[in-house]
Amino acid sequence: MSDASKTPEAVRLMAEQHGLAKALKLYPDGVKAAAERGLKPLGDLPAGTTQISSPAPIFNPARFERGE
Amino acid sequence: MTDVAWLTVAEGSQLLRAKKLSPVEWTKALLDRIAAIDSQYNAFLVVTADQALAQAKAAEAEIAKGQWRGPMHGVPYACKDIFDIEGMATTCHSKIRIDHRASADAFVVKRLRKAGAVLLGKVALHEFATGGPAFDLPWPPARNPWNRDLHPGGSSSGSGAALAAGMAPAALGTDTGGSVRNPATCCGIVGMKPTYGAVSLNGVFPLTYSLDHVGPMTRTVEDNAIFFHAIAGHDPDDPTSARRETPDCLKDLKAGVKGLRIGVIEHFYRQDAEANADQVRAIDQAVDLLQKLGASVKTIRLSPLSLWTDCNRTIHQAEAYAIHEKDVQQRPEDFAALTRNRLLPGAFVSAAKYIRAQQLRAALCREFADAMRDLDAVMTLSSLLLPSRIEDAAAVAKTYDQQARLVFNVTGTPAISVLTGFTASGIPLAMQIAGSAFEEPMVYRIAQAYEAATGFADRHPPIKLREKAATTA
Repeated sequence: MSDASKTPEAVRLMAEQHGLAKALKLYPDGVKAAAERGLKPLGDLPAGTTQISSPAPIFNPARFERGE
Repeated sequence: MTDVAWLTVAEGSQLLRAKKLSPVEWTKALLDRIAAIDSQYNAFLVVTADQALAQAKAAEAEIAKGQWRGPMHGVPYACKDIFDIEGMATTCHSKIRIDHRASADAFVVKRLRKAGAVLLGKVALHEFATGGPAFDLPWPPARNPWNRDLHPGGSSSGSGAALAAGMAPAALGTDTGGSVRNPATCCGIVGMKPTYGAVSLNGVFPLTYSLDHVGPMTRTVEDNAIFFHAIAGHDPDDPTSARRETPDCLKDLKAGVKGLRIGVIEHFYRQDAEANADQVRAIDQAVDLLQKLGASVKTIRLSPLSLWTDCNRTIHQAEAYAIHEKDVQQRPEDFAALTRNRLLPGAFVSAAKYIRAQQLRAALCREFADAMRDLDAVMTLSSLLLPSRIEDAAAVAKTYDQQARLVFNVTGTPAISVLTGFTASGIPLAMQIAGSAFEEPMVYRIAQAYEAATGFADRHPPIKLREKAATTA
């Protein structure tokens, strides 16, 4: 197991902010690898879809009405 | 009569109805087989022998009185230990849930009780349906009956192993990124991930909220369609459950493929990622065979496999972490290392990235629907690689990265894994056939025509009977 003190500062701060202090202490390599995977950017959206396209599913308040 | 261990649901059901086989006889034979061989495969976490025999006796009495409930009446099945069964633990193969007790049956378990099916027990999975075959949990991982040194696929690993080893003719699985179809592929059986909403998720411990599906696993396509009918249908207590009648998958099951239009998504395994040559050869032969059977087959192109993978993984990571956050924070040491490593990335997925993955999902769903406008189904590989050695964690992880199953969790549309042959050393090969939403009948019809023309489903692994039988002792 490697030393948690050698974990990059940014990863340590993020992990602690997310309540992962115990995981960081026990599994510093695992937390570092997880940060790399979680922070990896998503691939480009296909043509015709932009950051202002509405995601699915659309919220439908009628779904909560009685009888629906 | 076929060896009782290898009876299909369809064969066994006919014999039961005709009173040529007793549900008690079938159940006892399978319980004996489980006692004799499961120590080699670790498929079962719990065998519910007493309950199974009681259910079998009740079915026997009803059938004797002419009160036949349908094709699952008296038919034994196994249940992935992620479904609630009243009074039993739903452990999810995890130390964290070892003391859990379910207060009610999952919807599909209720449906199977009503259908008169016989529960043999609860079977192994990857912890919480994620991670991989772990050796640091209270139970060992399930093994592949074709070669016990190989990974049986997962996460519904016990379901796949139990079917392939002839310990059950049907089993329940769940599928978030391929967890029904992966063990089906690795174990050489049939696994269907139905349309999202076709089968209730009520009483199933979630891995994610929007990618999870319950799926039937069997040794033949016909059995799969029968089992699907027994578990599908609207559940008013599940907000994701579709308000529509389950289509009849048996009516045109044997209508053949003449005139049907099938698209082959070749670039997933020829360009987008490295694929095993045996897997590619087998799907090429499947394309030729379907053309000979009268289908019109053409190559189609979708977004690269990596984009589908990014989309599925991001949603999966964020949603799974939301479910497990408290335990990952407070007791990370109680998860298997493989599970913990799968869950931890979710802590670092930003809200913006999750939203972008949802936007991507909508775009990919539209793309798939557009491609299906002039097609009845598509086919592509399931696993791009062969099952790796179970104890080689890096090799197992690679098989999870090189697969085309998660595409159909993104679209929420039905996809089935069927055998396409065997390697020279006897390892099963497989492909997927997939369709439009709620087009399970079409998917089953093509799979049935292919299976009937090949006969691959008749081949079973070489099982060694080692131990003394339990119920006849």
